[in-house]
Amino acid sequence: MGDASGSDLISDLPQSIIESILVRLPIRDAVRTSILSSKWRYKWASITQLVFDEKCVDTCSDRDVVEKTVVKFITRLLFLHQGPIHKFQITISYLQSCPEIDQWILFLSRNDIKELVLELGEGEFFRIPSCLFKCKKLCRLELFRCELDPPPSFKGFLCLRSLNLHQVLISPEAIEALISNCPLLESLSLSYFDSLALSIRAPNLKYLYLEGEFRDICLEDTPQLVEISVAMYMTDDIAEHFEQSADCNFVKFLGGVPNLERLVGHIYFTKYLSIGNDPGCLPIMYKNLETIELNQVSFEDMKEILIVLRLITSSPNLKELQISGIFYTNFLWQGSSNIPSATDAPDLDFWEKECPSKCRLSQLRVVHLTDMCGVPHEMELIKFLLGSSPVLEIMTIIPCVYVVESQLKMLTELVKFRRASAKAEIVFVRE
Amino acid sequence: MSEIDMEVIKPEQPYIWLQTSDGSIQQVEQEIAMVCPLICEEVIQKGMGSSKNCAICLPQRVTPAALSLILDYCQFHHVSGRSNKERKSYDEKFTRMDTKQLCELTSAADSLQLKPLVDLTSRTLARIIEGKSPEEIRSVFNLPDDLTEEEKLEPLNNTTDDPRIRLLNRLYAKKRKELKERERLKNVEVEEEHVDDRSVDDLLSFINGNDADPKGMKNSKNKKKNRRKKEQLKISSLKEASELNNKEINGHNIRPQTDGANGIAEASQSNTEDSTFVSREFDDGDIDEMDPALQEKLDREVEDFARILNSDWPERMQELLSLGQERKATLFASNGNSILRRNA
Repeated sequence: MGDASGSDLISDLPQSIIESILVRLPIRDAVRTSILSSKWRYKWASITQLVFDEKCVDTCSDRDVVEKTVVKFITRLLFLHQGPIHKFQITISYLQSCPEIDQWILFLSRNDIKELVLELGEGEFFRIPSCLFKCKKLCRLELFRCELDPPPSFKGFLCLRSLNLHQVLISPEAIEALISNCPLLESLSLSYFDSLALSIRAPNLKYLYLEGEFRDICLEDTPQLVEISVAMYMTDDIAEHFEQSADCNFVKFLGGVPNLERLVGHIYFTKYLSIGNDPGCLPIMYKNLETIELNQVSFEDMKEILIVLRLITSSPNLKELQISGIFYTNFLWQGSSNIPSATDAPDLDFWEKECPSKCRLSQLRVVHLTDMCGVPHEMELIKFLLGSSPVLEIMTIIPCVYVVESQLKMLTELVKFRRASAKAEIVFVRE
Repeated sequence: MSEIDMEVIKPEQPYIWLQTSDGSIQQVEQEIAMVCPLICEEVIQKGMGSSKNCAICLPQRVTPAALSLILDYCQFHHVSGRSNKERKSYDEKFTRMDTKQLCELTSAADSLQLKPLVDLTSRTLARIIEGKSPEEIRSVFNLPDDLTEEEKLEPLNNTTDDPRIRLLNRLYAKKRKELKERERLKNVEVEEEHVDDRSVDDLLSFINGNDADPKGMKNSKNKKKNRRKKEQLKISSLKEASELNNKEINGHNIRPQTDGANGIAEASQSNTEDSTFVSREFDDGDIDEMDPALQEKLDREVEDFARILNSDWPERMQELLSLGQERKATLFASNGNSILRRNA
């Protein structure tokens, strides 16, 4: 079938290149190369990355059949594979907890596994077998919907750099121990944990992502953190717990991260930070903090606004700021004409107190404000930002869609504000 | 060229000398060439490349054409001000070349340890391979089709793990062998063919005369799969019966026949080896004789299969599976198993 004149273009390339090509193919195509020619028969069998995703699945049959087929395919493939396996990933929603997975993990633990990603379907959580904890070379672990129960003799993954646990059942002591026993841990992501109270000790940690209901988080020893992203959900009893706590959450959370470059908060994050006593002037400056994104900030809550201000004023090199507000439905009931005007809002001298006029946000270039309702404190914030940012290039304001009438009012006020930057463009986005 | 003494390499020196696989030496900008880790190492650690005499000898796999492409790549990406979009767009245009060049380029980039370019070309090659049929891939890369049928049938290649597809593959392999045999027989130009038919008839009627029932019990337990197995085995056993029988009956025809018989025997041999790897879903071992009335049907099927082999895969599937549906299970005699029984 090939032309007689042409010589084989590819079979004699070094295995590293063949591997480089084969791992970029869907696993089925990679295995199919075994029938190309005698040289290609087992080239696929020594690839070190095995990724099983939805492409392996023929969705035409019913679910049980599909699951059985996938299990058989993976088992057979592992049996025919030779050599180390560095990456093993399963992201198949049809696959649920089944005994074969234990065997696969045992096999992998004997084959130098370095990266393991297990994302099974909705259903019973898969209980991770103890052989996983013997994988000495593990450097990346991602588990979705599993149960993790490290044995008491477990001393940690000494090579682990990245840990991502999503909807994983694990006791708080175990997770804390796991984090602190992995000395090289750089990236930690915990999602959908219920009521977790955590104290994180990870001297090399650079990236932290948290999402879920966290009762309490203390970043005890994380001096190298560069990026934090938190989406904090709240339940009633967590809220109660917060009422009673006197610790300053802000300091507990952000007190020990001087190298922070990027901070992202969602939902109740600013509220969480605002709990506890006011730290006053912050002891540390975030010299590297260049991006702050705070979503769902309540501009009715003075403490939250204070947090926002503290963050902004403690970040001399802040370049980009994104804030989104919360729309309170009582606006609609009262009618927009009832939104008090700036002069009779309570506590307005707060702004004069907290924002010294000499405060300069000397690097701030981009500001995005979304879901703005036009409440007095929002306007004051805008006034403050405009007045203190000498190199501001663009400020985008997207008003909340429900308060159409007050938009004109907002605009009128906006126009009055002094701008420190002659280049500043204000983009007011109206639907 | 006068022999200049080896000067100490100064970082400001703009040009270095590289020697490619064909022996030719060229002068290139040092800054660009140093993007390649191997060249960088040669310059810094070994001090090579400063003049024509100590030109850096590039690895064998770096042809002049490949080197020129690599230097273009390095030159573009070395410039820091470019956006990601620009770089991606350049990469996409850059990899538009024929497959031979692409393979040479990959090889050269790998030997110069220029990982980003190796990744780029690997991605391109993977895209070329993805979704193509084996024949297409072979023709793109000039791969020899040198695997035997048996090797191609090994279980993992049947990634959908459908027993019908495995059966299908077996049938095709058998068919191809039979067609080859027929060709060979025709070429030999012997008239034994007629004789063969007759002897097969004889055999079959002889066999058919002994209708025993112990098989009946077993057969009644058969599932649909066994039915299909029998169909396949029918065809092969037809051939086997004819070959092996001729061994006995037509003594002086043994020589040309034995080749065929050996061929079939080998095939069955390797298939049984095959069976040790393959986890057979159906019971092994029992071959049943056929009803003479079905023989015509089988001959027809042989032609069908030959036609099917030349048509497209999905159509093939459709046809064969619908053919399969039409057959009914038949009970067969147990006698003659000694001749026709396949080694389990």
